[in-house]
Amino acid sequence: MTTTLDRSVGSDRKRPPAREGGHARRRARLLPGGLRWILPGFAISVGLIYYSIVYSGYLSFFDWRGGRALMTPVGFGNYMTALGDPVLWTALRNTIIYFVVVFVVQVAGGTLFAAAMHSNVRFANVYKVLVVIPVVVAPATLAPAQIQVWQSDGTVNRVLGALGLSGLEQSWIGQSTTSLLVVVLVGCWGAIGYGFILIYAGMSQIDPELIEAGRLDGAGNLRTLYSIVLPSLRPIIVSLAILNFITALKLFDNPWLITQGGPAHSSEFLGTMIYSETASTDRNLGYASALSILVLVIAVAVSIIMQMRGRERVARSSTTRKEVEDV
Amino acid sequence: MFETRSRRSRIVLQLILTIAVVPFVVPLIAMLETSFEGAGWRNYLAVLQVPGFPRFFLNTIIIAVASMAIVYLATLMAAFGFSKLRVRAKEAYFWLMMAALTLPEVVLIAPLYSTAVKLGLLGTYWSVILPIAALQIPFTVLLARGYVDGIPDAVFEAARIDGANTWRIFWSILVPLSRPIAVALMVLVLIYAWNSYLLPKVFLIDDGMGVVTQLPEFFRRQYNDDTPKILAASVITAIPTIIAYVALQRQFERGMAAGAIK
Repeated sequence: MTTTLDRSVGSDRKRPPAREGGHARRRARLLPGGLRWILPGFAISVGLIYYSIVYSGYLSFFDWRGGRALMTPVGFGNYMTALGDPVLWTALRNTIIYFVVVFVVQVAGGTLFAAAMHSNVRFANVYKVLVVIPVVVAPATLAPAQIQVWQSDGTVNRVLGALGLSGLEQSWIGQSTTSLLVVVLVGCWGAIGYGFILIYAGMSQIDPELIEAGRLDGAGNLRTLYSIVLPSLRPIIVSLAILNFITALKLFDNPWLITQGGPAHSSEFLGTMIYSETASTDRNLGYASALSILVLVIAVAVSIIMQMRGRERVARSSTTRKEVEDV
Repeated sequence: MFETRSRRSRIVLQLILTIAVVPFVVPLIAMLETSFEGAGWRNYLAVLQVPGFPRFFLNTIIIAVASMAIVYLATLMAAFGFSKLRVRAKEAYFWLMMAALTLPEVVLIAPLYSTAVKLGLLGTYWSVILPIAALQIPFTVLLARGYVDGIPDAVFEAARIDGANTWRIFWSILVPLSRPIAVALMVLVLIYAWNSYLLPKVFLIDDGMGVVTQLPEFFRRQYNDDTPKILAASVITAIPTIIAYVALQRQFERGMAAGAIK
């Protein structure tokens, strides 16, 4: 996200002096100073965030239960513990599974709903509100509803029973083989609406003539979707990938409220791990800080990689599209 | 997008859409159904009569309004400074801010928790308002600056020639002209603040300071898993957000889409 901006903003900034020569610079000198206008926002956001990161880095070298307890320096001990902690590896595995599944379902589901609602369907707004409700209402508020759906005497098991599939009834939340599945499905439920809104907005920006041209050349509905619509949505899909990855990295609300990361850590995520180390009675703020630093490193590294790869692909696809248009 | 020339294809599309929306409806029905189990409407009355119930809403409103006010002022001022005023090494400041754009909030809780304990801020509104504002500002500044960049410099120069000082220019020109983006951004901050759960859970540990997202847990503790009442409380909590969304659909969607489509 950051780097895309760099280009657009950077190029905007460089253009005026090149065109207007010395005038722009002279005018710039006449402008009133703006530092104090930037300062409040800068102090709150950069101040608080960078302070937290630096302090986190410092704390990660200690064992500390917080408050007046003794801070024991342990060097890289917390990092070593973390890397040898099977729970961390489960959490990382869960994060990747969550990211991949939710991202794919979000893009597919979001595209389906967006395309359908750009077509001529009745009650489009009713469908839209139903799909977007889990995006705008807090996960914490809706988690009890999902527990109601997945618990042993919940909706899913009742439906299975009614269909004569009572052999499949199980305690979805309470067993370690299915707890992650529940968290992932609830994640999809909350993510499709968001994908829908972005993809719907992106589809509105596609030139109708492009689609019309495809139709005249004999492209059917699916062909149009795959060959014209999806390539134009690539920048949005890259954004969704990054946003989803960050969401998976910090995931806390749903796993905590539905499974508490269990049973036996089977649905543990980095967010629930850091929370437990920060707020539970046997907390170790040093360990929580070490985990935070690991999350931070992963978040920064992955967003840079995705941004760069996404940009390459966007560049390539836009040149091919241009060539096609030129022909 | 899909062409539905024949009546049949229109019905098929409608059918597919209806089936696809079923998983979205099921939890909502389960929620409503369970909330009426046992005492029916009296579950809702019982929830509304719980002492301290309005307090949760009041706390959320205080936190949301204060976060919005801080983010609004800080964002517009920063966008004005970055876009239209002279700042030495402006882009360096901007990049320091943008580097925090995708920061997961969970990274902040351990250091902020120990800091809040030290400063005696644990359990105060500030311990939640400040992190919310800090996490939203990079994003809102990014979008607001892009918007303000689009306002011609000539507008500001004309005002300056007419003798308006910077403060006056900010209030009489920038604030009114940037209203569309400001509304979209405020809707985003409102959703974020209203739905935030982790930060209040870590910092507002006292029931008297709880926010709406903590209501289900509050009822679980107070009423020993009285599920119908927990779900009645969830329904009551969800209704304001759903009404706000239906009433402000376009602003909601513009705000959410603004982030990804640049």
